[in-house]
This record gives sequence, structure tokens and C-alpha cells, in this order.
Amino acid sequence: MNRYLLKLAAVLGLLLVFLALWGCGESRSRFAGTYRSEKTVDGKNYVDLDLRDDGKGTWTLEGKSVEFTWMVNEGKVWLYLKSGGIIIGTPSEGGKKLALDMSADWHPGCPANLCVSFKRSAEGG
Amino acid sequence: MGNNQAPPTSAKASGLKLGELGQEWAVPAGTRIVSQGESPDFFYVIQSGRLQVFRETKDHIRTPLTELGPGEYFGEVALVTGQPRTASVETLEESVLIKVSKEEFDRLLDHNPGLARSIINQLASWMVSGDTRLEQEVVHQVKLRQISWFDYLLMIGLSVVLGLVFNLYNDNKIPLIYGWGEKDDIPEISLSQAQKMSENNQAIFVDARKSAFFDQKHIKGAMNLPLILTDLMYPMFRFTLDQTPGAKDKTVIVYGGSFSRRFDLELARLFKSKGMDKVVVLNDYRGWDDILPLEEKPPKEGASISLGLNGLLEWIPLSIFLLILIPPIRRSPYLAIAGRLLLGVIFISFALSKILRPAVFALNTVDYGMMPAWGVNLWALALPWAELVVGLFLVLGIRTRAAATLIGAMNVVFIIGLVNAIFHHLPINCGCVGEVGEPVNWWKVLKNTGMLVMTAQIFFYDRLFVLDRGGFILRDRKI
Repeated sequence: MNRYLLKLAAVLGLLLVFLALWGCGESRSRFAGTYRSEKTVDGKNYVDLDLRDDGKGTWTLEGKSVEFTWMVNEGKVWLYLKSGGIIIGTPSEGGKKLALDMSADWHPGCPANLCVSFKRSAEGG
Repeated sequence: MGNNQAPPTSAKASGLKLGELGQEWAVPAGTRIVSQGESPDFFYVIQSGRLQVFRETKDHIRTPLTELGPGEYFGEVALVTGQPRTASVETLEESVLIKVSKEEFDRLLDHNPGLARSIINQLASWMVSGDTRLEQEVVHQVKLRQISWFDYLLMIGLSVVLGLVFNLYNDNKIPLIYGWGEKDDIPEISLSQAQKMSENNQAIFVDARKSAFFDQKHIKGAMNLPLILTDLMYPMFRFTLDQTPGAKDKTVIVYGGSFSRRFDLELARLFKSKGMDKVVVLNDYRGWDDILPLEEKPPKEGASISLGLNGLLEWIPLSIFLLILIPPIRRSPYLAIAGRLLLGVIFISFALSKILRPAVFALNTVDYGMMPAWGVNLWALALPWAELVVGLFLVLGIRTRAAATLIGAMNVVFIIGLVNAIFHHLPINCGCVGEVGEPVNWWKVLKNTGMLVMTAQIFFYDRLFVLDRGGFILRDRKI
């Protein structure tokens, strides 16, 4: 029985190592910073996007903020919402601009009717 | 030859005068003295040094049998039986042997009943110990082929417990049952009422599904506010709604619920919480596309995003699937090992792509439209852990038959889900490896079929490198 428990412990240990290694993604620092939408999204207000280095971020519109987490995957910025939605952002101009695909799916180009473009206002976060 | 289980009677103990027989032979380390299968010519007595006795298969799998030292002898079995050598002997260090010819050995036996008796005793003890070993091996193989309910209970129980415990401490935790305890205070209307309101221009339809579903088919003139993006997009939606003529007086009808009723009810509740009073949902989540006027686009396959190594790994089962068509390879335990490692790694990578963010996987599950509301989150919490646990069990060789069965069962479920999605043209993400950008198509079905066939091969032919009740079986184990 003890030997069996040891085997199970080995399995669980390996599992934790896997998880720990999997949690490490690409560095976020090159895209961390604050961004503002290039156009108003509701006729009068701009969206402020804050991507912090610790993987957390906020989307602020009309003074109301929504929290999310984010990571960098193969050069693209992935925003993870609490609801389970994923928004993929494509950086351009060396990270000065960020186009968010608001379809919550992947399209090679940001779809025109569902694309919100942001301009970086400050680096770091 | 001498045996480490039954100490051999040494040549010295038999009273042999070795100086009167044979020739002394100094042999360097690493020299093969006799080879398995060759005709016997000599009997050997060891004066000094150490030698290894072993058997070797055609594909060079070596099974060490014993080691011999000074005073012990070998080569007598083949001389007595007249059969080819039953094992090979090699020097482990520089050794000195007495090499006795067959004629001298026969003469020795004729004049030395003590030696003859000791050889007979030794052969008899080998037969008995051989029977014992055979029994142990048979029992071990039977155990390897056994599966029990406990194995399944262990893996499924472990997955559920790990999933639930991990969810407690996960930053991205989800409720065990979605919508549990929420008040159903959203008024419902029938399809015919909705139709009448539509005809009288008294309603605004809001589609709560993801934009891919909306793009493919929606009620004519409907607005789209995907529930998953409501937090971000509500102000934009509200702005558009306010621009719509007569919106204040119209009833907002939220539709687009799926089998799990995940989207429409929740979005309607959100609207209520934001002060919108005239909000209703349809009482039949399915029938709107039969009764109300639609705007449709032909279905198209979504774009795929690079899945990296995980995407490449998925293709390998297809090539192994072809190998399985060749009968001798089909039964190979080495193919089973390769299959175990490959499937294990694939399922571990499947799991790791979902485990940290169960909400994403839950939404992918909802999109298939086959899971009731109460089951979606439980499935999203437990399945990735089940993939991880059975993947690890396969790689490590623990309960491999049960693990292969579970992976096979998962593949059957995946195949059913994929085929259903293809036939219904659902614009969904597979949710198999990637979180987005993984279209559902027949290639996915084929890949899963390849994996299913591999699980069957593992189930029937896996027996090597297994860490199980019988311990870790090494290929070149000592017997």
C-alpha cells in the first residue's frame, strides 16, 4: 500500500511540475502599458486599456472598469475575460498600436465591424 | 553451470584433480567463451576471475541469468543433453579457466559418480525454479491484463477531486453549476407572441450568442451582444440601442439560448440589473429560426491559428494508425509503448491547454449544444484533469489498460461531438488543444479516430515497461 501511495505521489508531483512549467508564457513586458482607443466606441467615450506586467489588466469605459488577465502568445496579446471570452489583439508598429478582435474568436485580420484599435499612451504597467 | 539460487557443487568439492584434465586458458575481460545456440565441445571450470551467464534474443535483448566465480563451472548442460548451448557466457574480468573436452568430460562423469550426482541435482533444481519463475511470470502477465472497477474509480475520482480542489485555488475559478440558485424572474413569451410583436414593430431582438453564430444565422434586424463580452461591450450596445428610433417603447426580446440556456437567460438578467425593464426571453430556445424572418450566410470554416507543438503531435496518431494495418506490427508491444508515450503526451498537452482557464473550455463545451446547463461546468472542471491523469498513467505505465479504455471513451465522445457539429454546420472552436482558432472539420475526426485505434492496440498488446502492482518490469530484467 505504501509503495502504491509513493507511485501516486510521484504522479501528482510530476503533475505539479507540468503545471508550473506550463504557467510560464512569453514575456509580457514589451506590450505592457496603457492604451487608448483611436475612436470613441459609444459616440462620446474612449476606452482605456491598461495591460500590467503582472498579467492583469483593466478595460475602462465611462469610468467603469472591467478586470481581465492577459498573456502574450506567439507575438499576439490574448485577453482572458472572467466570462471565459478571449479577445485576441494584434500589435503593430512595434507595439505602438493594438487591434482587438471583438468577435471573441480568431480571424487572421481584425474583422472591420468588430475591430477596436488602440494607440499606446504609456509603456510599462 | 553454477546457479546463484542453488549453490553449485564446486569442482574442488567433487574431488576432481583438475591438473590431470584439460588445459589452462587465460582469457581477457569481455571475451565470449560460449555462445547460445552453438554446438557444445567443452566443459569449463573457473580458476579465477568472474563471468556472466546470459541469454540473448535475435534482436539483442539480453537477459542476465547469473554470475560465476572461482571454483564454479559451466558448459555441462549442453554436454550432458547433447543439445546446443542454452546460454552464452562472457568474462567480466580477466579470468583463468580449465577447458575440458567432451571426451574428457564423459570420462570424468564415468569415473566420478559424485560429480554426476551433483549435476543431476542441479538440473533438477533448475527445473523446479524454472517452474516457479514461469508461474510468477504468468501471474504477472495476467495481472497486467486485468482491469477492475477500482482502476476506473481511481482515475475518475482522482480527476474529479483534483479538478474541484484546483478550482478552489484557481484565480479563474468557475461555479460548479452555472446559474445555480439564480432567480428565474425573466418573463418568457411564446414564439407566436414574438412573431406578432415583430410584425407590429414592437420588439427589438438581441442575439446573445457568439458573433460567429450570429453571422451565420439570426433574426432579421436583430442586434448582437455576445454574453461573454457584455462587460466590455454593453456601453457600445446601449449607445446603438439608444440611437434606434422608438427603442424606449419597444420590448427587448433576448434569444439565442442553447440546450444549456446559457446565453439568453443570463443576458436578460444583466439587462434587468442595468435598469432595462421591458426584457423577455423566448420560452422555446430552438424554434425562432422556423417562425421568424431570418438573415443568413452560408456556413464557412473558421480560420485556424498555429497550435505549435500540440498541433503537430496530433498528426502522429494518423501515421501510427497506418502502421497498425500491418499485422506483425499491430501486435507489437513496442508499438504499444510508442502509442502509450504519444497518447500520454498528447492528452497531457490537451489538458494543460484547458486546465488553467476552465471558463474558456466551458464555453467551448456549451457551443457543441449537447450538454445540459448543470453539467457544463462540472465537465469543464473534471475533463482536463481526467486527460492529465490518464495521460500521466499511460506515460508512467500505471493501470495502462484502464487508462487506455478511458482515453478511448473520451475519443468516442469527442468524435460524436465533432461529427454532430460538422453535420449541423456549427461555427465553433474545437476546444481540443487550442482555446480559439481551431476549426472543427473531418481532419479532427480522423485524428481522434487514429487515437481511438491506438488505445485499442495499447489495450490488447501493452505489456512492457509497466509500473503496476507487479513493479516496474525492465526489458533486460534479471530472472
